[in-house]
Amino acid sequence: MSEAAAEAELADLFRDEAMQRLDQMDTELLAIESGDGNAESVDSLFRHAHTIKGAASMLGFADIRALAHAAEDILAQVRETGVFPPDLAAPLLRATSALRAMVTGSAEPTGDLLSDLAACRAALADDQADAAAAAGPEGSGLWQANQPESASPPQTSPPPAPLVPAAPVTQAPAPAAEGSATDATTGAEHTLRVPAAKLDHLLDTAAEIMEYRSRLTYALGQQEQLSEDVSDVLGAGGRLLGELSDTALGMRMLPISAITGPLPRAVRDLARAAGKEVEFVVTGADTELDRVILESLSELLNHLLRNAIVHGIETAAERERAAKPRRGRVELRAVPRGSMVEIVVADDGRGVSPETIEAAGREGSLASLLAMPGYSTAKEVTELAGRGVGLDAVKAFVNSLGGNLSIRSQPGQGMEVVLLLPLGLALSEVLLFERGGDVYGMPLSAVEEVVMLTKTLTLQGRPAMAVRGQSLPVTDIAVTLGMGAPPLGDRPPAIVVAAGDRRAVTTCDSLLGAEEVVVKPLGPVLADLADYVGATLLGDGRIALLVASATLTRKATLAAARPEPETAPDPAAAPKILVVEDSFSVRELQRSILETAGYPVVTAQDGRDALAVLDRDGQIALVVTDLEMPELNGIELTRAIRASAARSSLPVVIVTSRGSDGDRRRGIEAGADAYMSKSGFDQQTLLAIVARLVGR
Amino acid sequence: MGSYVRVTVAGEAYALPVEHVLEVGELGQLRAVPGARAELLGIKSVRGQIVPVVDLGRLLGVHRAAPPGRLLVAEALGFRVGFAIDEVTGIGDLGEPEEPDEDTESGLLAGATLSDGVLVGVLDVPRMFESLDGTRR
Repeated sequence: MSEAAAEAELADLFRDEAMQRLDQMDTELLAIESGDGNAESVDSLFRHAHTIKGAASMLGFADIRALAHAAEDILAQVRETGVFPPDLAAPLLRATSALRAMVTGSAEPTGDLLSDLAACRAALADDQADAAAAAGPEGSGLWQANQPESASPPQTSPPPAPLVPAAPVTQAPAPAAEGSATDATTGAEHTLRVPAAKLDHLLDTAAEIMEYRSRLTYALGQQEQLSEDVSDVLGAGGRLLGELSDTALGMRMLPISAITGPLPRAVRDLARAAGKEVEFVVTGADTELDRVILESLSELLNHLLRNAIVHGIETAAERERAAKPRRGRVELRAVPRGSMVEIVVADDGRGVSPETIEAAGREGSLASLLAMPGYSTAKEVTELAGRGVGLDAVKAFVNSLGGNLSIRSQPGQGMEVVLLLPLGLALSEVLLFERGGDVYGMPLSAVEEVVMLTKTLTLQGRPAMAVRGQSLPVTDIAVTLGMGAPPLGDRPPAIVVAAGDRRAVTTCDSLLGAEEVVVKPLGPVLADLADYVGATLLGDGRIALLVASATLTRKATLAAARPEPETAPDPAAAPKILVVEDSFSVRELQRSILETAGYPVVTAQDGRDALAVLDRDGQIALVVTDLEMPELNGIELTRAIRASAARSSLPVVIVTSRGSDGDRRRGIEAGADAYMSKSGFDQQTLLAIVARLVGR
Repeated sequence: MGSYVRVTVAGEAYALPVEHVLEVGELGQLRAVPGARAELLGIKSVRGQIVPVVDLGRLLGVHRAAPPGRLLVAEALGFRVGFAIDEVTGIGDLGEPEEPDEDTESGLLAGATLSDGVLVGVLDVPRMFESLDGTRR
């Protein structure tokens, strides 16, 4: 690693550590301010200030060092006297704010603050002198100092405001080492601070190994017989790899407490600025969520807390008039709900007005009303102006993760904003593959193995293959999803999929490998299409559709069961015919001709629609299709039918106004059984062709 | 009377209230979604979000001669939909729309109005979104 890179890494580590320590200082200071402080609070405050000072000094951050030093001096004195005057919390909180700004690089001038702190310290020294005179030599107070060096006498002059940063120290040991060693000896669990980038690299590498494993399995699958040793080793390796991957993914999970640190402080400041009295409670802080989700959540929680404090909680006087406790209560609650986590921001403030409830009734729900962009400017809710601020952003965020936003509120009784978020669904290991020129993915957890389809058996008239002694149905993914795609090659890759207790084999054009991807929801418009769990953006800009594993096994099982209908077919029953035609009148004409002749008829508006109908209805015995249609035309439809193992022998009749020989040839080449032109259309010819093809 | 974004679809003029319109851009390449309804042309990534793209002409039941080239992203009921259109012709006020005719086939119009001698169909955006919302089917 270059010197500059090493230095940058150190600076990153310092920033992370300092921010964490500043959060802890805020927590302690707030506790002291509200009367909950004790000797340990002061010890811990001192230790944090001291550590920040030391690290800043090693890295050459002179201004940070100076300010941390000033705070440390005051805290040393407090430790000495055993008295923490309550009015000392405010300047120290200003100091932590200023330090935070410096650490994040948004520094503000600190001259005033340094002299304020110096004044505080001088005042403390006077108090100490008085106390010492009164109590005598033994009066070192309740909070015994144990570091004589830090109990520096008050005559040390306060550090001057730095003008020039000190030269950077390149040989500095990692400043985090000191902090983590201290934490490790006091904490119950040994923790290690690791830069996020290293963790991401570990995850990428684990995903890459997964990919190699899929390729290895694929390559080995081409051999006729695998030795038992090889498959044992492969199996054991696979299990360990799964464990590695799970552990690595688990590292992305962080407790909510990772982002709630600064919140009590933010609430205090907001409440003060708004002139409100607010008690803030966090419950379920150990609930875990994906790091990426947490990062975005942090900002949104600030929005929600601001709304609760500024617009929800009433002033103390108003609350007394409403027979409520003077102090308002704001709660942040995290509750695990299966694979989701519920994040609730609740307040016991004024809630929404009856008019808003009424308007919400018209709009559908409170959430959809309040989260409308620009809602807060709406006339009917001027008394709540601002309540909707940021809620549209919250809603967009929640929706983008496939979650849900709901809001509960009653006039006078507070409000609860509930964010239902996926635990870690946003990141998922998927196996990517191609079919018909497009990329699809399926959850890697559902993939048992990848083999090459060499020998296809038929079982109950449907394609099947033997996998480890079990016969599984084989389905082309194009058929499963109902897409138009050219026929599969000779030896297509076959993915053995397991969902629940069902297994099935899916074939495709080619495998692209395993990847950890961010799953994006398809949204309400596609909500009725259960075949997909979402989509993901690939590195090359393409979009991969992620197929639900249950779809792959369920559809395959249905397809396999089709030839053996539960109700024995009535031998007298006429075969069912699918009419595919985009023109309503032609469609109805054909339907009436066929129905009059005694055939049950179902219809579809174009080729794509037709494939979906075929998928749903296993009874269809013949397809009559138009040639020119939007989406998927008659030729493409015919090809898709021929490409599907399950329906390759389904008779297809093309009826079209295009009567040229070229068209006829293309139709026949695509696999149509008959071709007739609309111009020469006659009902008897159609019925004769149909009867011949269905064998009646 | 608020502002409207005026668009053309298969040679006909339509207008959407401007507050529902997020952006307009090239239609570009779409990712097809097998099994989806016919009016859904595919999906597209717009600022990192997956947006379904609907053929507005087909939704309204107008037959189009040429494939649409532009994409208009709109939002209502808390979700976004991209509409394939021919082009945006302007943004501005419209006359008060008249009540829709009885024979308005799609039921997606809030009304129609004559503007500069052109008959403009005013789209009922929430109703369109309702008809597209798969969770309501």
